[in-house]
Amino acid sequence: MQKKLLLLIFILFFYGCSKNQKEELLLSTNSWIGYSPLFYAKEMGYLDELNIELIPTVSLGESLNLFLVSKADMLTGTQHEYNLLHQEMHSVVPIVLFDRSDGGDMILSNRTLQELKNLHKSQKIDVYLEVDSVNKEMIEHFIKHSHLSKKSMHFINKDQAQIQNIISKDENPTIIVTYAPYNVLLEKKGFIPIASTKDINTLLVIDALFTSKKTLQQNKKRFENLKRVIDNSIHEIQKDPHEAYKRVSKYLNEISYEEFEISLQTIKWINKPSEELLRKINTSIYSTQSLIK
Amino acid sequence: MKSISIKLYAITIVGLIAIALSIVFYSFHATSKANVEELLKINIQTSVLNLKHYLDKNLKHNINEIKSHLDTVNSINALIANIRVDDNKNKMIYHSSRKATLLKPSNCVKIFKLQEVNVLQTECYSVRTKIYDELTPHYFTTYVFISQKYLDSLLHNQTKKLFIEYLITLLILLFLTWIIFSKTIKKPLEKLRQFAYYENRPADKFFIKEIESIRYSLEMTFKRLHQEQRELYNLSTRDQLSGLYNKRTLIEKTDWLSVEKHRRGEKFAVVFIDIDNFKTLNDSMGHNLGDKVLHEVAQILVTTVGKNDIVARIGGDEFVIVLPTVTYDIDIINTLEKIKTKIQNPSILSSIKYSITASMGVALFPKDGKNSNELLKNADIAMYKSKELGKNNYHFFTESLNQEIQHKVNVQNMLTEALEHNFFELHYQPKLTIVTNKVSACEALIRLRHPKHGLIAPNKFITIAEENGFIIKLGYWIIEQSVKQIKAWRHTAYENIRISINLSVKQFEDPYLIKELDRLTKDIDRSLLDIELTESVFVNTNQNHYRIIHDIKSLGFTLSLDDFGTGYSSLSYLKNISFDTIKIDKAFIDDLNSDNGKAFVTMIVQIAKTLHLEVVAEGVETHEQEEFLRLVECQSYQGYYCSKPLCIQEFNKLLHSRNYL
Repeated sequence: MQKKLLLLIFILFFYGCSKNQKEELLLSTNSWIGYSPLFYAKEMGYLDELNIELIPTVSLGESLNLFLVSKADMLTGTQHEYNLLHQEMHSVVPIVLFDRSDGGDMILSNRTLQELKNLHKSQKIDVYLEVDSVNKEMIEHFIKHSHLSKKSMHFINKDQAQIQNIISKDENPTIIVTYAPYNVLLEKKGFIPIASTKDINTLLVIDALFTSKKTLQQNKKRFENLKRVIDNSIHEIQKDPHEAYKRVSKYLNEISYEEFEISLQTIKWINKPSEELLRKINTSIYSTQSLIK
Repeated sequence: MKSISIKLYAITIVGLIAIALSIVFYSFHATSKANVEELLKINIQTSVLNLKHYLDKNLKHNINEIKSHLDTVNSINALIANIRVDDNKNKMIYHSSRKATLLKPSNCVKIFKLQEVNVLQTECYSVRTKIYDELTPHYFTTYVFISQKYLDSLLHNQTKKLFIEYLITLLILLFLTWIIFSKTIKKPLEKLRQFAYYENRPADKFFIKEIESIRYSLEMTFKRLHQEQRELYNLSTRDQLSGLYNKRTLIEKTDWLSVEKHRRGEKFAVVFIDIDNFKTLNDSMGHNLGDKVLHEVAQILVTTVGKNDIVARIGGDEFVIVLPTVTYDIDIINTLEKIKTKIQNPSILSSIKYSITASMGVALFPKDGKNSNELLKNADIAMYKSKELGKNNYHFFTESLNQEIQHKVNVQNMLTEALEHNFFELHYQPKLTIVTNKVSACEALIRLRHPKHGLIAPNKFITIAEENGFIIKLGYWIIEQSVKQIKAWRHTAYENIRISINLSVKQFEDPYLIKELDRLTKDIDRSLLDIELTESVFVNTNQNHYRIIHDIKSLGFTLSLDDFGTGYSSLSYLKNISFDTIKIDKAFIDDLNSDNGKAFVTMIVQIAKTLHLEVVAEGVETHEQEEFLRLVECQSYQGYYCSKPLCIQEFNKLLHSRNYL
């Protein structure tokens, strides 16, 4: 009888131990070519192994809000989101760098730059953008770079999904601040790129993965593994883009392979950044101290 | 290990169950609380997120445009008690409560700290909303106040309700457990204890199988015990063979009756019954039939006496009847006559026809005894008197009878004492060979020289010794002493003197007689020891006696027929048994004065001569008698003419003077 009781306690003990699994971490991310490694890792099951779940959002702002209300433990975003969060929380840190935009953030219009410049002063240009994103920095740099007047512009704050649905080419002079892959559909509608991060060299748009210091501290090992998963995914995307496309296209508004390839060309992977880039990011954007190597 | 009461045990078990249930309840409550907190967080997150999202998209400088929506959100969302919106100068531009002063932002927690706070105790969450004027941001702060009522409904009320329900359930459960335990285990066990201890009333059938099994086992054990008790009682009070009361019960009842009758001044009778010659019946027809006969006698006694009379079997063939209500002796006699008549009626048992009789003795309370012991003893004495008087009869106990018995008892005690203290001695009466006038043999005769009563003649005790069987022991003593004397004479001038000893008919009933004779005489010439038998040995004789006589002869002893001529068929004995000597009875010698007497002695001597037997005349007291015997050529004589029986010292002197001087 005593032996049976001990055996039962033994089984219960090990059952209890076996239940001590890692808590799920939620990562909110939006549809951006630079975040393809995450989508790829998700599809390959790498994230499941780390018990990390993706929360797809339609905009950077939405990702930010999810993180802000603690619905997500991590988020992807640019330095813009970082700054916003930093104003609120102070404890947010970048942990993995994905890419720098090299044409991936762009300005489309139904007019050429020249046509925009030639518009009558009384005629307003509708500027669609996610104001609360790097779009804002993008348009500000564009205005400065193209010598257009801010006063001639009517800023409309929409997320990229909304912008895609409401915009048609035949409307008033319009500028859309967007990024890959949302540009694809817009370009199909007749909008043409008039500027991008490739042209505006004063703007350095860095996409990274952010989390709170506390989460980082609690999941250091997991994040190290996540970094390796991201590196590996980037490597596999570069090695076999076609195969990668099959897996990630559904996260990128079902773009074609050609569009996928083009989008990839609008970014540069910086998961293994140079010292120079790190210095540059460190001095002008945020501290890179917490980045996982 | 210390024993505890079942009540304490039950309370301990129930207490442990209560503790276990409390732990389960607490665990359940903790899990529920964690789940509720998690769900509440999700709810808060979702509500705040939706609100923020709405404000992000719709908040313009004029808050009035969205007031109605905020009111709706506030009213339909049970989680939200109030919403307050402040502009970037911390000026409240919207609130949903009538008491706006109560909505203090100081208590609010920023929404991103949601995971760090206790959501059940946090009253308010704040979130910043940014609206753009072109590209210039304006910051608004939204405060979401959580409904305390909602929070209470989520956990506190639920917990309270659940706790009360748990408490009531626990109490009911404990109460029911106790009731069930008490009804099915405690009380049954107590009943079982009482049943086992007092056995006064059989317990009902129990619900619990194991307890019922114990009860059933106990009941079976009690039944068996009762049965065994009855059997033991019967064994202790009843005689197994006849079914009558045994001696112990008879004594108890008789003593009780003695007390009762003494108190009332009444009398009662005790009848001692012994089957006549039952041993012979047993020996000849077997013990099985003997037992059946005893059973039949028991039935006769039971059916003959009254309902209140006591009938008991106290020994082999000994029965006792106690007649408690007797007024006149004639009543007793009537009963005894009935018994006598019924017993002596021939019966058939196992196809064997038999006929028995019984001897009965009666003792009366209080005349013949004050208690069972005296009454039984005296009834027994009376019964023996009946036997002495020819059996198949009854005899009432009398004082003279008692004295007679007392005398016999005294003699018996004296004999036992004499043997123990060597008071017996052998006297030797010489046998003279008439031709040589010398002592050729002698007859050893027992004498008792009691230190208090002096020399006692054998006729005073031999009969009693024969009656009570003491003669067997005494006989061995005589043989031992005779052998000792033969050995003493060995290698002397008297070594050929032959000693005659008498064997009683009672000694023939001793199964060890031959074996002991052989053992005691193995060191002597057995022809020097002559065994004298009287005709009584041959009266009622049987094959066994003949066998013993033959064995005696075979051992080498000589045989003498004592008291020849006085019995019934002396000649037939001479024919059947190879005697060596016949001893002419003293009666014939005493009659030698007459012609007839002379003729008989002459004839006996002639017969002996013809049969080549030695002849010894007994009781020769005169010279004339000796002369006549010499004339008819009788070989030897013994009697006072020569010498009376002498002690060994005197006998030795006689021998010396007669044979060698």
